[in-house]
Amino acid sequence: MYVGQAILRREDERFLRGRGHYVEDITLDEPIAHAAFVRSPHAHAAVTRVDTARAVGMPGVLAVLTGADWTAAGYGEAEGVWPVKDMSGADARTVNRPFICTDGVVRCVGEIVAMVVAEDRHQAQDAAEAIAVDYEEKPANTITARALDPDTPLVHPAHGTNEVLVTEHGLKEETEAALARAHHVTEVVVPTNRVTAASIEPRCYMGHHDTVNDRYTVWTTNQAPHIVRRYFTKSLGIPEHKLRVIAPDVGGGFGMKLYHYPEEPLVLWGAIVSRRPVRWVGTRSECLLGDTHARDHHTVGRMAFDEEGRILGVKFETLGAFGAYESQWNASITNAYHFTMLSLAYDIPAIHTTVRGVYTNATPVDAYRGAGRPETIYQVERLIENGAHEMGIDPLELRARNLIPAEKFPYQTAIGIIYDSGDPPALMEKARALCDYDALRAEQAALRAEGRWMGIGMVAFFDMAGAGPVKMMNDLGAKIGCYDVASVRVHPDGRITVFAGSHSHGQGHETTWSQIAADRLGCDIDHIDLVEGDTDRVPMGIGTWGSRSLSTAGMAVYTAADRVVAKAKRMAAHMLECAAEDLDLADGEFTVKGTDRKLSFAEVANASYHSGDRPADLEIGLEETSFFDPADCTYPSAVHVCVVLVDPETCAVTLRDYWAVDDVGTVINPMVLHGQVHGGLVQGIGQALMEECAYDPESGQYLAGTFMDYAIPHAEDVPSFGLDSHFTRALGNPLGAKGAGESGTIGAPGCVANGVIDALWHLGVRQITQPMTPKKIWRAIEDAGRAQQ
Amino acid sequence: MERETISVTVNGRAYERQVEPRRLLSDFLRDDLRLTGTHVGCEHGVCGACTVMMDGVTARSCLTFAVMADGAEIETIEGLGSVDAMHPVQRAFWEKHGLQCGFCTPGMLMTAVELLERNSDPSVDDIRDAISGNLCRCTGYQTIVDSIRYAAHLMREDGA
Repeated sequence: MYVGQAILRREDERFLRGRGHYVEDITLDEPIAHAAFVRSPHAHAAVTRVDTARAVGMPGVLAVLTGADWTAAGYGEAEGVWPVKDMSGADARTVNRPFICTDGVVRCVGEIVAMVVAEDRHQAQDAAEAIAVDYEEKPANTITARALDPDTPLVHPAHGTNEVLVTEHGLKEETEAALARAHHVTEVVVPTNRVTAASIEPRCYMGHHDTVNDRYTVWTTNQAPHIVRRYFTKSLGIPEHKLRVIAPDVGGGFGMKLYHYPEEPLVLWGAIVSRRPVRWVGTRSECLLGDTHARDHHTVGRMAFDEEGRILGVKFETLGAFGAYESQWNASITNAYHFTMLSLAYDIPAIHTTVRGVYTNATPVDAYRGAGRPETIYQVERLIENGAHEMGIDPLELRARNLIPAEKFPYQTAIGIIYDSGDPPALMEKARALCDYDALRAEQAALRAEGRWMGIGMVAFFDMAGAGPVKMMNDLGAKIGCYDVASVRVHPDGRITVFAGSHSHGQGHETTWSQIAADRLGCDIDHIDLVEGDTDRVPMGIGTWGSRSLSTAGMAVYTAADRVVAKAKRMAAHMLECAAEDLDLADGEFTVKGTDRKLSFAEVANASYHSGDRPADLEIGLEETSFFDPADCTYPSAVHVCVVLVDPETCAVTLRDYWAVDDVGTVINPMVLHGQVHGGLVQGIGQALMEECAYDPESGQYLAGTFMDYAIPHAEDVPSFGLDSHFTRALGNPLGAKGAGESGTIGAPGCVANGVIDALWHLGVRQITQPMTPKKIWRAIEDAGRAQQ
Repeated sequence: MERETISVTVNGRAYERQVEPRRLLSDFLRDDLRLTGTHVGCEHGVCGACTVMMDGVTARSCLTFAVMADGAEIETIEGLGSVDAMHPVQRAFWEKHGLQCGFCTPGMLMTAVELLERNSDPSVDDIRDAISGNLCRCTGYQTIVDSIRYAAHLMREDGA
């Protein structure tokens, strides 16, 4: 069995030797031209003149294109993957993110106004700088919390409001009643900070038009190439059979590289116009500005407790950021992934939430590793933490009293989602033991007596991973089918190529998909190769996002491999003159049970392609495809505990310890799993302590345009992690596997925040917005001290 | 723009090329010499993905002009290890899962090589300090730290 083993990654050698093949590395027979963009320097402005005259004649310039040219060419606009209707049943007030400004108004810094294509990157940038654009500035607002205030400038005045949509979910009356009869109510304003994925590889696209054969090719830093192909039918109107989308090695995605970004159709347009392949490589500033941002929910939460600290109900009111336009998947955050998970790992009888999506003059928001769940977990857990302190109950003890007991699974939350399997108390007990909780509390008390501030943070939660099923996700708003696809092709020599509709950009599918296939096919893992990321080679795919690939594409590999085995057994049975049921397949051989009669898998494969002596109704060939629609989402769960030290002099936070106990169901490769958890944790820690897509509130200027301004964690900022696990099988797929990609990211912001609050509670500090920088902590302590005087 | 002639040795091989004075060493390596293992993640010297060895010390190739490398000996990721065997640092990163998407990996490896050349038995703190100028968004750094410690072990064994 390969599944369950820490097989070393089969893709690694090319990366370790500098032989990875990223979009920026690709060469073609023809010289590749480069694109550069003119972007809005204003948060909101009318574009009164775009003068390209000087740029046109500059050295190396091949094409200069503006929004007027886009309109004249008759091209289209983006389309939401996940549009959501609001409560009235009306469509949301959707304004899709434009590819290039065509209506004479720019609504956030960085919006594209013009494009230059030139022989090399520097010539393109030189010419872009020579384009003169006149702007008339308009009033702007970049702050989500202010979006619906009466005097706030409107981003899209035609709608008469900055509200995109409003939806309510849950049990309104029951929740109000719980708050009314509660022994104690905790209220906290819990905004989540605007962050961005900041993959180390910048976004990069290359387009090519083969005019002779009328075929188009796009190379893209993307997680879902077939979905990109679909949306080129909307942007440039290219039929799917005419376009090949290739996503080769991609240097991190985290959800952010899922979208049909403006630059993607624009480079292909540039290629069509200039009759040259055209590439754009994002600068870091372009990426920090133009990559989708994430989170930025402004939420007020109230939680009702009884005398024993049992949670009676929880109520949330949220303003969910859209930014200046609707990015393709953003409505899925405010309306599918945020509200569905509000119960976390707790048995809460009444939950009600109202979400208002809002426009501001800021970069569009969309899914980033967790998408809705980091907000939810952070917000609910901040209420639980404050509630525990306010009621004088130990925070772990209060949580333990509220966890969903194992015998209640499958468990339907008050919001309506059914968690198929889990055992939160077991996770909590393992976490308690792992961190030696009682010793930590004793240490905290001892340090506090010395004037040193130590805090213990914790969270307990569920994730909703593995989208679909198709029907369920359609019902939640998805316009695409959330299944996935794999083909298993056995070659005549018995070796195997697997084609999968997922995309690996760090997840290690070449290893894990091969582990699954090798077990089902009874073969050596080295006899398998994997192809992903090419719409001309892979039949179909929905791509890698939302911790879904294992329970969709991975299961398609599993299913297709089983179909191959079933067919091969019929051929082998014919050759061995026995019944197919009498055959065992192991170690590359078919054996007639109880005998020494056998055939190698390779002999059967060869006969499948080349022998006329076969069952009359058995088709030639040995290749099967599975379109796998899972029976359910998967619901991974976890308990995290951390220890923070806050320096009383500098207010700097040291994250000293971090433990995570996960339930991700059946594990394919524990080494890969741990890597996913580690990486996710550090992104969540970054959100808690360091990261912020900051705007100047007055001018709307973006302040986080370099890695010196947008702080992602360095090696010195984070500890080593203590991991444990307690597995319950998922019921929605045959392997029992749950998603594992997001657990770290979604749990860490709340865990670290609770640690900091726990460290400072005795000083009167009740809430600090993230990122919890030393300045904000110092300010919170000062304010609390004044309030207590 | 006027071009200047430079002579550099990259991974043991001598090159003479004409370059614009504004050409970055990273672009020179990637586009002129087609050594695309050196990656550019931020082009302002923070992320460390573009780290190469220049005359025996690490340098940010995105902050170095190609003309500044005239006469220098440069080593890139492509020069690490041999055709038959990976360098111990490469082996260690493989065995300890010190990479995921692979984009920061070339710079991380060059930084690790430099550290291990001056310190054959670095502590965890030494390692975290040494790689604090190299950003990784996938691994959370722990397995990179493990990899470098293991590489030190392998190199001490090899040297013994």
